[in-house]
Amino acid sequence: MTNLSLGSRIHLLAGGAFVLYLAFAALGFRAAGPNGWMIVLLVLSAVVFMVLLYTLHRIQAALARITSQMQQAAEGHLDGRITGIKKGAATADLSWALNNLMDQVEAYFRETNAAFEHSARGDTYRKAMTSGLHGDFRASLERVNISVDAMAQTQRLQMKEQLVGRISELNSVNLVKNLKAIQDFLVNQNQEMKVVANLSRETAQEADASSAGIQAIVADLNRVVDLITSTHGQISRIHEKSAEIHQIVQVITEVADRTNLLALNAAIEAAHAGEAGKGFAVVAEEVRTLSENTKDAAASIAASIGSFGQATTRMLDDAGRMKEIADSSRSAITEFAGQFQRFSESARTSLAQVSKALDVGFASLVKVDHFVFKQNGYRIIQTGPESPEARAVQATHHQCRLGQWYYEGGQGKELFGQLSCYARLEEPHARVHGAVHEAMALLGDRWESDPALQERVFDAFRKTERASDEVMEALDCMVEERHRG
Amino acid sequence: MALARPIPTRNERVLKDEDFIVSKTDLKGLISYGNRTFIDISGYEESELLGAPHAILRHPDMPRTVFKLLWDQIQSGREINAYVKNLAKDGAFYWVFANVTPSFDARGRIVGYHSVRRKPSPGALGTISDLYRTMAETERKHGGGQEGMQASRAILDQLCQGKGASYDELVLGL
Repeated sequence: MTNLSLGSRIHLLAGGAFVLYLAFAALGFRAAGPNGWMIVLLVLSAVVFMVLLYTLHRIQAALARITSQMQQAAEGHLDGRITGIKKGAATADLSWALNNLMDQVEAYFRETNAAFEHSARGDTYRKAMTSGLHGDFRASLERVNISVDAMAQTQRLQMKEQLVGRISELNSVNLVKNLKAIQDFLVNQNQEMKVVANLSRETAQEADASSAGIQAIVADLNRVVDLITSTHGQISRIHEKSAEIHQIVQVITEVADRTNLLALNAAIEAAHAGEAGKGFAVVAEEVRTLSENTKDAAASIAASIGSFGQATTRMLDDAGRMKEIADSSRSAITEFAGQFQRFSESARTSLAQVSKALDVGFASLVKVDHFVFKQNGYRIIQTGPESPEARAVQATHHQCRLGQWYYEGGQGKELFGQLSCYARLEEPHARVHGAVHEAMALLGDRWESDPALQERVFDAFRKTERASDEVMEALDCMVEERHRG
Repeated sequence: MALARPIPTRNERVLKDEDFIVSKTDLKGLISYGNRTFIDISGYEESELLGAPHAILRHPDMPRTVFKLLWDQIQSGREINAYVKNLAKDGAFYWVFANVTPSFDARGRIVGYHSVRRKPSPGALGTISDLYRTMAETERKHGGGQEGMQASRAILDQLCQGKGASYDELVLGL
């Protein structure tokens, strides 16, 4: 009997009771004989038993429907309901209560689904409608709405971050590209500046050499002018001497004339003396001839001296003009020498400026290299620790281009090694590399889902930026110090 | 047993805050379930409702366009929310805010519809009854044909455009 269902047990118990009642009635008939009232009671009780059995059957059927309904619900089919519920039936309240429960449960799920589906599509206007739902159903839907709001907010943030991420990706890719273009440009400019610097250096050297040549020319010319002046003086003195000679010749001519007159007088006197004076007359004739010869010689000297004087006069004129020409040449050459001096000075000034420009250009190149390094560091966030960018930033502060420039054998060491600012570069530069390497190591981990790790990555990049600023300052300082004059 | 259409009266039945009317229909709109609140407010017996078309509750003041929109939307598998003026058995009317959703079987096919009606937000009823009156008049003016439905739909669309919202957004925002 324990294996029978509740419905069957009730039927069995009711049937048993009816059989016992019939047995009791039969015993009554035997004892007291058939009696009209007893027959009526028997029939009535039979009818009551029938109604009872029928009612029990109805209840059993209703319970079966309710049970199946609940089993369906337990299997997740919330759609079914009990219908055709008779008013006043023993199970009516139970059936309606079950329907109400199912209505609440089904509406709860439909509202939850609607809210989540809309939220997933990005529609924020459709919330779960809580009105009409009771107790925990309502409270839970209110929490669903809070979650949906939070999801919507997260979704908005994600979408925002997605766009920000895509744009910053675009930006950083192009930034590196642009920086590389500037790098190429600066490398070219550096080459060209070197050529210009060499030209300037040669010009300055040649200007210095030419300036010395010109000084020598000016000195030579001065000596020529001095010689011309002294020649002029000597010719003047020669000119004066020829006038003195002329006067002496004059005196000689006068002496010759007087001697001639004396010889004539002597001849006359000799003639007076006759024979005795014949010898004297011969002497007088000889003296006269001598004086004539003397006079002739003096005349020829006078003529020579005259032409000599004309020649020296011309020489004096020529020497005067030569002196004038030499003087004007000297002032022209002196002026030219001055101009050349100034040219030479400006060549030196431009050499200094060109070499500063060369250093500034090279420092800019070094800076751009440094920016590229840093940008590659940032790119790892997008490209991951296995990317070419990650390999690019693995370089130590000795291996990167700035490092090669800075340390032994590099141009930086050669040109700036003596300066106090040179020493200031090393430490922050090492720090930039250290911080980028730190960030790179952290990015190898699961930083996407770990806020603490994200904070450390951010810190590492912030450290990079601070150190990078110091590197920039040190570079500027080096160039400034080297060209301070 | 076809039910006689009640003659509308001016009596209004107002839903209580916690009232929760639930009904279900098959694909043709024949009622397969109604909860006790539905029975009480509509005034019909459960036996009268079961198998009857849901349209027995339609009030003549309702524009047909709203039901067209409702059927279009739920048949395409989407839920709809709508303000509806319903007609009770005794001719009284009652306003509800209806949410109708399709029910799917395991293969994702629509097997019936589920409708929940709640107390409408009182602030929305002024706007809605004005809108429905204009729409219903437009439909009547065009003789109730396709043309009238289109003109009536245009009025609804215009209102949505004016508010810069979709129909669903508009209805839920009222």
